[in-house]
Amino acid sequence: MMLNLNKGSNLPSEKTYDLIIIGGGPAGLTAGIYAGRSRLKTLLIEELVVGGQASTTERLENYPGFPDGIGGYELGLKMEEQAKKFGVEVLFGKVEKTELEGKFKNIYVEEKIYKSKSVIIASGATPRRLNVKGSEKFHGKGISYCATCDGALFTDKKIIVVGGGNSAVEEGLFMLRYTKDIIFVQDLPFLTAEKILQERLFENKDLKIYYNSEIISINGEDKIESMSVKDKKTNKNFDIQTDGIFVYIGLVPKTDFLDKNLSINEYGYIKVDNNMKTNLEGVFAAGDVIEKNFRQVITAASDGSIAAKSVEKYLENFKEV
Amino acid sequence: MSLLSEDDKKYLKELFKGMKKDVNILFFITEDKKLCMMCDDVKEILGDLKTLSDKIKVKELSFENDKDEVKKYDVRMAPSVVLLSDKDLGVKYYGIPGGYEFSSLVEDINDIGNDFISLDESVMDDVKSIDKDVHIQVFVTHTCPYCPSAVRTAHKFAMVNDKIKSDMIDANTFYEYADTYGVSAVPRVVINNKDFFEGSLPEREFLKRVLNSLK
Ligand SMILES: Cc1cc2nc3c(=O)[nH]c(=O)nc-3n(C[C@H](O)[C@H](O)[C@H](O)COP(=O)(O)OP(=O)(O)OC[C@H]3O[C@@H](n4cnc5c(N)ncnc54)[C@H](O)[C@@H]3O)c2cc1C
Repeated sequence: MMLNLNKGSNLPSEKTYDLIIIGGGPAGLTAGIYAGRSRLKTLLIEELVVGGQASTTERLENYPGFPDGIGGYELGLKMEEQAKKFGVEVLFGKVEKTELEGKFKNIYVEEKIYKSKSVIIASGATPRRLNVKGSEKFHGKGISYCATCDGALFTDKKIIVVGGGNSAVEEGLFMLRYTKDIIFVQDLPFLTAEKILQERLFENKDLKIYYNSEIISINGEDKIESMSVKDKKTNKNFDIQTDGIFVYIGLVPKTDFLDKNLSINEYGYIKVDNNMKTNLEGVFAAGDVIEKNFRQVITAASDGSIAAKSVEKYLENFKEV
Repeated sequence: MSLLSEDDKKYLKELFKGMKKDVNILFFITEDKKLCMMCDDVKEILGDLKTLSDKIKVKELSFENDKDEVKKYDVRMAPSVVLLSDKDLGVKYYGIPGGYEFSSLVEDINDIGNDFISLDESVMDDVKSIDKDVHIQVFVTHTCPYCPSAVRTAHKFAMVNDKIKSDMIDANTFYEYADTYGVSAVPRVVINNKDFFEGSLPEREFLKRVLNSLK
């Protein structure tokens, strides 16, 4: 049996922080490690679990330093431990609102306000929800976005994995331990996952992949019964019987709780410069939440370290009045 | 090899150091070997916990034979863990508190032993003022990182108000039971057998769902 022990959180001790980091995923935690080592009074606020999205994947195989891979949650816990070791305080709570424009920033967590001279937004992203006819009523009732969480509930059942990127293929491979009955539905004519993941997938000869497929609807009364799909090449519709659907079709950045004057792009990702600076003074952003091309643990960590370094620079010239 | 590492033990010993009150852990085992597949592991862990603080007391009971206790604590399935202070708090685990839920168990023990429940003041007041019976069931899997936060919120609510009872239920162990509630994503929280939601919610939002369900 596996035991996961979350080594607790301390209560905030300061009235005003040098830095508040929003989000305890790889970006926020790495920013914390660097800020702590720069001796900034730092508070990191996390709503759910340290490790962020990475905690929902069983094994990371491409994060350097772990030739046999490392558990996503385990890596998150280790990063947290490392940040705390350098003096970062970790608070569990949801940031509901921010006031980022003044010299001192106000961060609202449930009923309290925390003040800080600077902020790093590392709130990451959440899975994009499947939005087709019939999908709404099956969210949490057969449509899932977390194979690690819900996979075992589909033991020996028929499932469909939607998507063809890294997450889809990784999690589809993970699901093979619970059921052999897996069908992939991908809208492009090919998969976009890393080649090594594709190879592993193709080793499973029985596994069916529908390419060029557009999902038309999810059908069923109380339970999911089938998915209707259109073959975009032939324009023909067909149905696939299924009990569950695991969806990996990209991300939506978590920026809805932030100041409206923060500059974001048309998809909601925060715009930053090379130093992770946003358009607001003293406000930086890092990780999956920023506009960029490649969203991984290592790139999130990299952004986080740069953001922390920029904060340190910013605070050198910070005058209290 | 022991399930808890030396590091973990050191951490827990330090954590439990200041506990003032006794924490009584009742572990109900069952003769159903399939359900109790990991019961020996739990025994080992509880045995370890006992050595880490003299405030932690563990008692092993049989679901089939210890009828009085089963009735007294309203234990409906086993294996299960019931946590008590000097009184019944309405805090239960159906299925074993393993994987991510081990953290829930540790934090529950810590709250009970320190007689301090970390709820936001205003949330606390509202939870305390509930005067109707509430039964919260939180369905989880051991591999769900989002689940402990839902379990903990439900358990904290139970600890501060006698009217509230809350159970963690491992949807894998009690697959059929979970199926009757249509659980296919976790955490799934069921309030008074009629209202439900998926996912972890902040304490205040969670409370709102409970209050709405009482209307
Ligand atoms: C299924 C899956 C598999 C993956 N596999 C890999 C892989 O093998 N290798 C790899 O490198 N990457 C992988 N990734 C991608 C990787 O997990 C992400 O790129 C990385 O986690 C991004 O880190 P982040 O810190 O920017 O954001 P996130 O991980 O999204 O973390 C953001 C954190 O902020 C918190 N937060 C958000 N809003 C608030 C708020 N208002 N208040 C408080 N806290 C808040 C969230 O709860 C979250 O914990 C995978 C992702 C998924 C979903």
